[in-house]
Amino acid sequence: MSQSVLHLSGVVKRFGETLAVGPVGFEVQEGEFLTLLGPSGCGKTTTLHIVAGLLYPDQGEVRLRGREITRLDPQHRDMGLVFQNYALFPHKTVFDNVAFGLRMRKVAAGEIRERVLRMLDVVGLPGVENRQPHQLSGGQRQRVALARALVIEPSLLLLDEPLSNLDAVLRKRMRLELRDIQQRLGIATIFVTHDQDEAFEMSDRVILMNVGHIEQVATPEELYDNPTSRFAAEFIGEVNLIDGTVAGVDGGAAQVQSAIGGRYRARGDLASVRAGDEVLLMVRPERVEIEPDAAAADGLVPATVAKRVFSGDLLIFTLRTADGTELTASKPSTQRYRAIAPDSSVWIDLGECRLLPRGA
Amino acid sequence: MRAGGGLFAAALFTPITVVYLVFLLAPIGFFLMMSVFRYSPMELWQPAFTADNFVRLLSEEHYRVIIFRTLEIAALTTVFSLMLGFPLAYFLARTGSIWRGVLMFLVIAPLMTGVIVRTYGWIVLLGSEGTVNVVLMWLGVIDEPVKILETQVAVLVALVHILMPYMVFPLFSSLASQDPDVERAAATLGAGRWRIFFEVTLPLSRAGILMGSALVFTLTAGAVVTPALLGGSKVQMLGQTIYDLVLSTLNWPFASAVAFVLVFCQFSIIFLYLKGGRRRVG
Amino acid sequence: MSAKPTSAPSARYLNASSAVARYGMGVLITAIYVFLLAPVVIIVFTSFNPTESNTFPPTGFSLRWYGAFLESSSFIEAFKFSVWLGAIAAVGATTIGFLSSYAIVRFLGRRREAGQSLALLPVMIPHILISISLLLALTIVPFPELGGLIVGHVIICLPFTIAGITASLEGVDEQLELAAMTLGASRLRTLWEVVIPLIAPGLLSALIFAFIVSFGDVYIALFLSGPGRTTLPIEIFSYMQWESTPVVAAITTVQIMLIVTLGLVVERLVGLRKIMRV
Repeated sequence: MSQSVLHLSGVVKRFGETLAVGPVGFEVQEGEFLTLLGPSGCGKTTTLHIVAGLLYPDQGEVRLRGREITRLDPQHRDMGLVFQNYALFPHKTVFDNVAFGLRMRKVAAGEIRERVLRMLDVVGLPGVENRQPHQLSGGQRQRVALARALVIEPSLLLLDEPLSNLDAVLRKRMRLELRDIQQRLGIATIFVTHDQDEAFEMSDRVILMNVGHIEQVATPEELYDNPTSRFAAEFIGEVNLIDGTVAGVDGGAAQVQSAIGGRYRARGDLASVRAGDEVLLMVRPERVEIEPDAAAADGLVPATVAKRVFSGDLLIFTLRTADGTELTASKPSTQRYRAIAPDSSVWIDLGECRLLPRGA
Repeated sequence: MRAGGGLFAAALFTPITVVYLVFLLAPIGFFLMMSVFRYSPMELWQPAFTADNFVRLLSEEHYRVIIFRTLEIAALTTVFSLMLGFPLAYFLARTGSIWRGVLMFLVIAPLMTGVIVRTYGWIVLLGSEGTVNVVLMWLGVIDEPVKILETQVAVLVALVHILMPYMVFPLFSSLASQDPDVERAAATLGAGRWRIFFEVTLPLSRAGILMGSALVFTLTAGAVVTPALLGGSKVQMLGQTIYDLVLSTLNWPFASAVAFVLVFCQFSIIFLYLKGGRRRVG
Repeated sequence: MSAKPTSAPSARYLNASSAVARYGMGVLITAIYVFLLAPVVIIVFTSFNPTESNTFPPTGFSLRWYGAFLESSSFIEAFKFSVWLGAIAAVGATTIGFLSSYAIVRFLGRRREAGQSLALLPVMIPHILISISLLLALTIVPFPELGGLIVGHVIICLPFTIAGITASLEGVDEQLELAAMTLGASRLRTLWEVVIPLIAPGLLSALIFAFIVSFGDVYIALFLSGPGRTTLPIEIFSYMQWESTPVVAAITTVQIMLIVTLGLVVERLVGLRKIMRV
């Protein structure tokens, strides 16, 4: 088993009366890219600041490579933090910005020079060391901030929404580049974002947070396919949620009678599920099957095409079933699906669904 | 901020706390406490409690006159500062002139030169051969120089001049923070220039007026140098009385009682200011 | 000088309604400025007056009062002492003011307003009271009177340095300090490497403004000056209680020039109004 770089356990932080975070616990593995994902105010930045030592938790423990650092000053932690607005020192040149951490560590001048220039190379910015931060573009500043955090060779790299101030095109490119640099250096990283696409494209694992606590910890695929709560299902991508009643549980799946009429197999946390329980069925739009041919519709649920939106590679259908439930289906814009006109009658199949508890 | 800052913050606050407690509040507290001590020509004071100082202060005609004169001059200075300061602050807050920075500077510049310089300026202006007399004679208003120095008028004029900037700054802040669109909105609703002023601008400037008035009033009440030089012995105010009592007769307890009256007036004003400010919010 | 028709929309709107009102306002504002500046301008004129009395308009041009000033050892000594005292008070008030301002801006949170009001306390107390109380304290506690004078000046300068420096600190992004700390800088090192360089103009302004306040003070020095530690305003004050020749005009003109020059530097650096929003 690989050694964990960072270990948070039972961390709680209050601001006055409000509970900002907690209790929260997780581990970061060697070389791992871990993302804290969640809506604004979910406590992800607070958690990051607790890791960095900019805030001390009210309860709980933070360990870096086994050493307890819960209330250690930020300057004695071994972490590189990249801020959302980069926080480059406006009165120092790029070189002095990147060299700052090394100077604080009393590294010899010659070595500082060598390491700063090498790191500027790594982040793809050779030759800018004598410029002032205000002479750089947003993307360049971002790279300088990254170089400044990385040059001290921290045990852990912390990224606080570092891409949110960039324009869309640059943001996409920087995602890949950031991931690439992280993998080349093999540095354990915690990345904070509210952007699901960023989280999915870059992370090894994602921690989904909501109102101060962890909703789910999973790989991006697992999080997408098997959310464990309604919040997780709705926060990640598009989703259809349908009311249902458990008819029976057999083996690894439950049989659920849905509000739209069909009976579906559903997987999920079945430990406490009993026949007769009110539950939710979750199905992603691309998993919703549409059958235009009445002849092949045996056992399927009838529906009407309420709306059809063409978005290039995809067709997005809004389907209304007899009980008034509206479902979204996204299908490739092939001939088969283009032939389905608005207002036409179709039959739908949900295949195997995901079972979620009703309520929260 | 934030983690572990408590000790650091305490360290940062230490110097000012020490300076204010040891060199400001403790001495003032002790000095004011002395007002209930007995005066003794030999030991300066005796730590024996007495109300004599206050009784004497309030019963002797001489001191009653001084108290009322001080309050009168402070009130008049405040009123005149407001009357002159408001148009000036209004102009500075609303003008689009490129000279605004310079004009602001001209208000602040006299303030920076210090009390002595400006008081001296008024001596030159108001003296018997001073500019004001020369101009008045040249205009034929008077035949021979009038005596302006050593009158209450001279003191009042100089105090208004010296303290008016303290009125202008809070007024300016409160006027500049008002959205000019509110005045324009009133105009489009058919309000005339004066209606707008009295129903919109003036009520919205209330905080500035209160703040400026409180500052000017308390600063006037504590004035020493200006009344001493321009009013001479004829326009004694509380500040001068304290000065004389301490430096000439060394009667600390009585001086303290006079100072106590001064502080009492001042805190009444600040109390009214806070009350007025609160009503505005509520 | 005033009520210039300008291109700024606010001025045009408000002045559009009536020419009478506009010129009335112009005359009033001009008159107020004449009132504000006359005493200062008259001093400058008087200082070049060749005759003994403080007359205006001057009857000629002469530098004799400046000569008299330079020959008066008591005035020269007082001038030097005021400069020395102002410099020390300015450094003291700026240093303490910086530490307090930083703590107010970064550590007080919601109690910040209250903290700032407390820090500005000395403006609300008549300076004569501050000075007289210090004098009394010095009669009891064995503390050098010169020390009392310096502390008194530091106290009256503090509100101004704090007002100016907190305004400057508001322009510093706290994240820069957090960044420095995560990179290994201690809190003190962060102040030195990041905060102080970023608010250098504000600190310099505070320094100069504190000097100006100290240099112009009469009230603190009124009770706390003495032989060998008489400030210029006190020297002038005692001189004027007996006689009044244009030598005072010459001295005060020098003072005005000095103060106005320093004031212009502050204006250039950060704008005087930041400091005056007491």
